[in-house]
Amino acid sequence: MIDEKMRAATRQGDISLEALSLQHEVEQFYYREALLLDRHEFNDWFDLLDEDIRYFMPIRTNRTRREQKKLEYTKDNEFAHFDDDLTMMRGRQRKLMSDVGWSENPASRTRHIVGNVLIEEELSASELSVVSSFIVYRNRLERQVDIFAGERLDVLRRAENELGFKIAKRTIHIDQSTILSNNLSLFF
Amino acid sequence: MTVEKTKTRLNIGADPREFQKRPSWTNEDILALLDEEDGTLDPRIYTDEDLYRLEQERVFGRAWILLGHETHVPKPGDFLTTYMGEDPVILVRQKDKSLRVFLNQCPHRGMRICRTDGGNAKSFTCSYHGWAYDLGGNLINVPYESEAFCSDFNKSEWGPTHARVETYKGLVFANWDKNAPTLLEYLSDATYYMDHMLDRTPAGTEVIGGMQKWVIPCNWKFAAEQFCSDMYHAGTVSHLSGIEAGLPEGMELSDTKIPTVGYQFRAKWGGHGTGFYVGEPGMMLAIMGPKVTEYWTDSEAANRAEKHLGSAERARQLMVQHMTVFPTCSFLPGINTVRTWQPRGPHETEIWAFTVVDADAPEEVKEEYRRQTLRTFSAGGVFEQDDGENWVEIQSVLRGHQARKRRFNIQMGKGRSGVGNKDFPGSIGYVYNEEAARGLYRQWIRMMTEPSWETLGP
Ligand code: FES
Ligand SMILES: [Fe+2]
Repeated sequence: MIDEKMRAATRQGDISLEALSLQHEVEQFYYREALLLDRHEFNDWFDLLDEDIRYFMPIRTNRTRREQKKLEYTKDNEFAHFDDDLTMMRGRQRKLMSDVGWSENPASRTRHIVGNVLIEEELSASELSVVSSFIVYRNRLERQVDIFAGERLDVLRRAENELGFKIAKRTIHIDQSTILSNNLSLFF
Repeated sequence: MTVEKTKTRLNIGADPREFQKRPSWTNEDILALLDEEDGTLDPRIYTDEDLYRLEQERVFGRAWILLGHETHVPKPGDFLTTYMGEDPVILVRQKDKSLRVFLNQCPHRGMRICRTDGGNAKSFTCSYHGWAYDLGGNLINVPYESEAFCSDFNKSEWGPTHARVETYKGLVFANWDKNAPTLLEYLSDATYYMDHMLDRTPAGTEVIGGMQKWVIPCNWKFAAEQFCSDMYHAGTVSHLSGIEAGLPEGMELSDTKIPTVGYQFRAKWGGHGTGFYVGEPGMMLAIMGPKVTEYWTDSEAANRAEKHLGSAERARQLMVQHMTVFPTCSFLPGINTVRTWQPRGPHETEIWAFTVVDADAPEEVKEEYRRQTLRTFSAGGVFEQDDGENWVEIQSVLRGHQARKRRFNIQMGKGRSGVGNKDFPGSIGYVYNEEAARGLYRQWIRMMTEPSWETLGP
């Protein structure tokens, strides 16, 4: 484990070699993760979700500035676009890989662009909290096009896999209140 | 032509005089769109711009439209902005706990009065020139009124247009038409079947916070019809992968038993319809998981529901019930997703969905309802994803001239429904059926062709 390196990297303005190399490592993780999704290597992508994953996308709403802080995002006990544990995500995986999963058979073409990657905090010796931005383009069947943008707040956990991390928690703040698409059959 | 000065806030729904004026679709043309006897439907009902415009006036201007649940706006000043057809409205809880609904349009120069999804307010101030309205939708302040306005300006005449608002067991509906029947009359004999979700306990239901909204490029009638009448797609191929997603690990799709026993109901008036399986819980298990299924079929709450509804069959045996209250209120008792299909032109629909639970259900059951409905019936739902796929493709095929010329088959169960089932009142047939769909389109055609509630009413 590279505890020292992780500690160093989260210090703002730290340009030590340790910090730069951790930043590089985290970015590489996101690029490779995106590639798995965009190349439809879904089984490998689902394997990146850790046992205790919470895959969560609250609903965003339009509020007055006065009420925005309190009310913009739906809360934990309210409705959401996604709020899945690993069992639920494994179910989604079965649907996605199914011959009769019509919403992704034929499959969508997607492109996940991940940027603005900031290692925010070292939560423990093996966990990082990381903020990033994404743009996801989807083209489906003859001419359907959807573009989604948003922010991901991840907890990445050190893992003995090729990519070096697993996703322990992913909160997705999508930049739409009404989802301008016929479904969310893709992953962010 | 005399133009009535309608600065007052009363609304008359569809104007009977308008029924004679439009040349593009005569009553005869509209009546021919559905042939109940042959069982055919003209698909232009889903695509035609003129029909869509008429529909806004004649259907959405006169029908009871679902706005939400009472517990969306529990406290005085709580409000929710939503739509009746394409017309934006504000639903507001009053200081005396009653509800008001008014057009979200400032009668000064037409600005949207409120531009947020909801919250709590003391009043609403138009962001254009500052006209202010109280919670009841009365105009209470006009900047520079005495300096700038005129002798015949009367604030009491210039509030936004109001709608009637009534509730049925927690669900809030509104209607523009002062001549329309009451909500209870309008719901007709469908209330018996609505109660399976809304009236299982004296505590009633409450909403799980949050309204999910998404856009499907298809006509609203595909969605309304499916929830009204189409168990067929669920029992055949549409949702097989949704079922797969809900199987316990290690279990195969081929191990699951799709139910075969069930009924469909067509309301005697009003275009409402519902269908359900009886007995076999396999599909409910795949949708809602064991915890909710047990709560529904075999728990203290189920015992209480049995007493409250007066029958074990109604309380615990009905599975995966689907239902539409004409035109755009749909829900699934047991799964408890509730939605309004908001029309956005002939080719587009917004879905506004929420979940209700028994108000006195244990916290962990409420939580499980939340998790399972968002997993299955939502934009990302493993069931609902595939509905969107079907409707979008139908709508897209209907761009074709030949495609629009070919009448659809709507024959299933023709002549096979009837009154007399010992457990289920009203007109009842087999669960795989299009009788309720024929009922929905019949009501649509009646509202599109009959100017007066005297003939149209229940
Ligand atoms: S449009 Fe509302 S105050 Fe002028
Ligand atoms: Fe469906």
